[in-house]
Amino acid sequence: MKRIRLTPLFFRRIHKWVGLILGLQFLLWALSGSVMALLDKDKVGGHGAGMTHAHPLPAGDYVDVAALRRGEAITGIVLRDLGTRPVYEVQSAKGVRLVDATTGADIRVDAAVARDVAAMMNDAPIRDVSVLPKANLEARDHAGAMWRVDFADAENSSAYVSLDTARFLVMRGDTWRTWDFFWMLHNMDYVNRSSFNHPLIIFVAFGTLWMSGTGFYLLFKSFSRADFRWLRRRRKPVVVRSAP
Amino acid sequence: MAIHWPLLVRRTHKWLALVVGVQALLWTLTGLYMVAVHIDIIHGDHLVRAPAAQPFDLDGFVAPSQVVAAAPGVSELRLQRFAGEPVWRAETPEGAQLFDARSGAPLPALTESQVREQARRIYTGDGKIVSVRLLTIAPQEMQARQPPYWQVEFEGWNRPTLYLSPTTGELISRRHALWRVFDFAWMLHIMDYDERTDVNNPLLRIATWSAFAMAISGAWLLIWSFKRRKRKPA
Repeated sequence: MKRIRLTPLFFRRIHKWVGLILGLQFLLWALSGSVMALLDKDKVGGHGAGMTHAHPLPAGDYVDVAALRRGEAITGIVLRDLGTRPVYEVQSAKGVRLVDATTGADIRVDAAVARDVAAMMNDAPIRDVSVLPKANLEARDHAGAMWRVDFADAENSSAYVSLDTARFLVMRGDTWRTWDFFWMLHNMDYVNRSSFNHPLIIFVAFGTLWMSGTGFYLLFKSFSRADFRWLRRRRKPVVVRSAP
Repeated sequence: MAIHWPLLVRRTHKWLALVVGVQALLWTLTGLYMVAVHIDIIHGDHLVRAPAAQPFDLDGFVAPSQVVAAAPGVSELRLQRFAGEPVWRAETPEGAQLFDARSGAPLPALTESQVREQARRIYTGDGKIVSVRLLTIAPQEMQARQPPYWQVEFEGWNRPTLYLSPTTGELISRRHALWRVFDFAWMLHIMDYDERTDVNNPLLRIATWSAFAMAISGAWLLIWSFKRRKRKPA
């Protein structure tokens, strides 16, 4: 059996072969990383919460909370203002109900409510309103049915509003969409775009480490004193051509 | 003079590597750490337990309008439990405040022993509490979160630390060694050594495009270096 000798040639071979097999992903990481660094993070937006409107609750009488029961075991109540009227979000094992906090009437989050909520987040005219039974790729961080409200602005913004609670969920625009495509290339989760802890990426990351590790080592073998001679004075380089 | 492409590209690859080689190594190292340790572990989901949903007995509650009147500017009232008792959590411009759901009286800020109890309730581990401190200056690991908050540190190799609100006792954040390593790795990955948040900094932009050029030149060299060297027919 041939003994493996840890020569520069051996490391160069590793560098070359890992480069051949995983080099494309390294290239895509460099490209997607570069593009994500270029895209303005404020325009990408949509990360984390914080982008919501809070309306002070009006003074005055509210429906008694005991009247919200209707024979259900209530596990949570939230009183807040939609911007147009105060509402109760009533949580039970069945899900969430939205109740008008001054009249006690059930509220259905229809297209008009969705428009009102979305319009508080964006001044542009609304182009289209549609309902999604479950989240699409853009609103993937949120569960449940939702409204999608499209705006006629430069970013082609879309606001997502919960169908159960009328809460504003997230705003997505073209900069985010571009960013998300490159984020998919970066995290290699081509279906859901959300996980970066799957076996494929762990395998490729481990492999690529061999390429960058050997590459770093080879730097010390590839440079000689002669390479830095130009720092002192210009001299005609000696070109050694391989035999044709 | 005719350009000798393989040599020129090899030189480009080599010199670009000299500039960004260390960073490329750091990117792959930190990248491997970030993909290998699951994000839920990094977030410390295993360190804390969420309160189970229990039905509320809604009789004898004070009218919500009374709480609204007592908390100026309140934008949201949320019914929850504190130490087993129903309370309204009022979200106000000055922060969150708890009100007893039966009497409507505001709850005073938590005492240290209440903070300890609360931390014990939330924490899933068995380790002892090592220190409890009310912080008024944000430590690096709390990033943009505005103090004051209680910092409760537990015993253990990974130094689990919970941050609790002084007014509501709710969990603001949890940190542990793997999170701290991740945060450091992230800093190296995005090359923002101050705030660890700016993914648009010029240094990163220059480094990433240099790495891209290095990768492209490397890819070009691959084609050349795997080519079968045929002898010219005589």
